[in-house]
Amino acid sequence: MKIDIKHIAKLSRLKVDDSEIEKFEKDMENIVSMIENLSDLEDTGSLLDKDNSMVLREDVAQNNFKRDELMQNAPQTKAGCVVVPKVVE
Amino acid sequence: MELFRYTATEISDMLKNKECSSVEVTKSVLDRIDEVEDKVGSFVTVTKELALEKAREVDEKIAKGESLSNLAGIPIAIKDNICTKGVKTTCSSKMLENFVPPYNATVIEKLNNCDYVPVGKLNMDEFAMGSSTETSYFKKTKNPHNLDCVPGGSSGGSASSVSAGETMLSLGSDTGGSIRLPASYCGVVGLKPTYSSVSRYGLIAFASSLDQIGPIGRSVSDVAMLYSAICGRDNLDATSAIREYPDFRANLNTDIKGKVIGLPKEYFGKGVSDNVKEAVLNLSKELEKQGAILKEISLPSTDYALNAYYIISSAEASSNLARFDGVKYGYRASDYNGLVDMYEKTRSEGFGDEVKRRILLGTFVLSSGYYDAYYKKAKLLQQKISAEFNDAFDACDVILTPTAPDVAFKIGENTNDPLKMYASDICTTTVNIAGLPALSIPCGYDNNLPIGAQLIGRKFGEQTLLNTAFAYESLVGGFNKIPDIK
Repeated sequence: MKIDIKHIAKLSRLKVDDSEIEKFEKDMENIVSMIENLSDLEDTGSLLDKDNSMVLREDVAQNNFKRDELMQNAPQTKAGCVVVPKVVE
Repeated sequence: MELFRYTATEISDMLKNKECSSVEVTKSVLDRIDEVEDKVGSFVTVTKELALEKAREVDEKIAKGESLSNLAGIPIAIKDNICTKGVKTTCSSKMLENFVPPYNATVIEKLNNCDYVPVGKLNMDEFAMGSSTETSYFKKTKNPHNLDCVPGGSSGGSASSVSAGETMLSLGSDTGGSIRLPASYCGVVGLKPTYSSVSRYGLIAFASSLDQIGPIGRSVSDVAMLYSAICGRDNLDATSAIREYPDFRANLNTDIKGKVIGLPKEYFGKGVSDNVKEAVLNLSKELEKQGAILKEISLPSTDYALNAYYIISSAEASSNLARFDGVKYGYRASDYNGLVDMYEKTRSEGFGDEVKRRILLGTFVLSSGYYDAYYKKAKLLQQKISAEFNDAFDACDVILTPTAPDVAFKIGENTNDPLKMYASDICTTTVNIAGLPALSIPCGYDNNLPIGAQLIGRKFGEQTLLNTAFAYESLVGGFNKIPDIK
């Protein structure tokens, strides 16, 4: 099976150099062929863990973080905001 | 004997009896880091000042006669994918090279409440993707038993630091074997707990349905003590189980009379080296002499587990790692033309090859037209593997296997062949897929490199695993042997 690395890379928001395409293609095909020889499996029930149903906490707003602490990790800030490239023309 | 050579359990008792101070212990460990870290390379960050400050606080509390936790004053190092407030947490990636978390993971909050001494942050495979710690952006960690060999991965620094005496205990994380494999390669004890028993809040996610934080130490009791400190329900992790846990260290005993130990034939087949097989079977015979009953069992889907693991973990990783876009935190490319170009350049420059490979694979198996063929099939396989384990545990209490098919390999030996690298996880991934607990313990040497045995238990059956390991440890006179580093 041929895998369209360019398309997958676009979906993944990754740039793949033309020189790397062949390498990734081969890696991917090897990995995919591992699962292709699986026999058909019967769907035997729910995929959720019946013993451990998740309990959600109350949806209450909490003030856990200070703005300036969070902003310290931002790559680029201005006037207390994160700077990003222009999105709307 | 220098203090860094003792186990955490011994130091804990010595602190209580005022035979040493936490500052003395911490200095001994920090001196050991100064002595061997250039050779071993376990750490991304050493927090020397923080460690000494904390140790002084603990000594003051002891002097005042305050009642303290077993872990008070004990140096513990943390894998660098577990968030530590104010201390860089890099995931050994260029993407998070300068990331300083504004919050603590729940396990860190718990250890702070125990007054642990934070020694530093440990090297790992980038985003925990790897089996050798060679995919770290920063450096290659060496195996303390042979500096030409890998320490295993992805928690390579967590195992090498404990093995080399650079810390008494460490935390790692295990998605497909990332605690057990390095524990095995470095000759230490590593526990991958039952899925949902330890909160994942603040653990930078790789594959959320498989990831678990767990302890590594130089004795079974050390691991039991650290596990007791970190397990438990956390409202910040909706998947964490609501239940009570015993004091695992206090409940340790060596009585394994009548315990049935299953030996699944699939784990002793081709691909497993003869010396590893022999060492693990010898261990089983020692347990038999102590009154355990050996039973050959079969887990037929084992051969397919690695496939299911790579599909499920890569799928989840591709989704989890979508957050690294260069906007709010982490690396951002410097030259770009518009938003999409910024995303693409940031991610392409910030992630290493192995991470990209898994994001691409994960995106592929989840993409339109392929979901049923790959992801759904892998999830069905997961059901089948879990059901086979359930059946096996009707007939036995513990399952014994090798942790890895062979001892540690040479640095660089498998880096160009992902499938060969993935094969080192062949004995460990089934456990994550089924959400079970498993413990790796040393059981011999091959060519001066440690061999590890894996004990797998029922969900929440950690005490049985620890007791079985404790019985063997008592028999061989302890696992605490720090190698000469040369």
